[in-house]
Amino acid sequence: MAKPVVRKPKKKSNPLKTAKIETVDYKDTALLRKFISDRGKIRARRVTGVSVQEQRQIARAVKNAREMALLPYSSSAR
Amino acid sequence: MRQYEMMVILDPEVEERTVAPSLEKYLSVISAEGGSVDKVDIWGRRRMAYDIAKKSEGIYAVVDFTATSDTAKELDRQLGLNEAVLRTKILRTDAR
Repeated sequence: MAKPVVRKPKKKSNPLKTAKIETVDYKDTALLRKFISDRGKIRARRVTGVSVQEQRQIARAVKNAREMALLPYSSSAR
Repeated sequence: MRQYEMMVILDPEVEERTVAPSLEKYLSVISAEGGSVDKVDIWGRRRMAYDIAKKSEGIYAVVDFTATSDTAKELDRQLGLNEAVLRTKILRTDAR
């Protein structure tokens, strides 16, 4: 009998913890850029590896930054 | 009284050295209604991620102030009427 392959997903290092940031600010575009794809989309939590609460803060910050033209709504790369 | 943080994008055609005095003029409504301006940070000219009002650049400024909600609303209204202001965003910093 072949054993079913059990995948152990690798725990991602939390990028907010490493940067020692408690509250995400929409003005910190350098940080927020880590959480958007090259097309300008917000990266999913399974990609970013942050907690639910942090992901929410990030999403809100990105949306605020977009409103103030600090981040693109969509970049037409490709 | 609440703490607010406001970001404004000004028209890039406004001359750089007139930014501070004109910003002061826009903010006079805060002190007139009993609030206080705590910090004014002018970022200067900056390229925007997309065009606003057919302009690709804007002069950014961030203002921290303490005021009542009515004052904040009035300030937002006045800036919205101003031709030299492309966009504003007022957020409460004491929330969360």
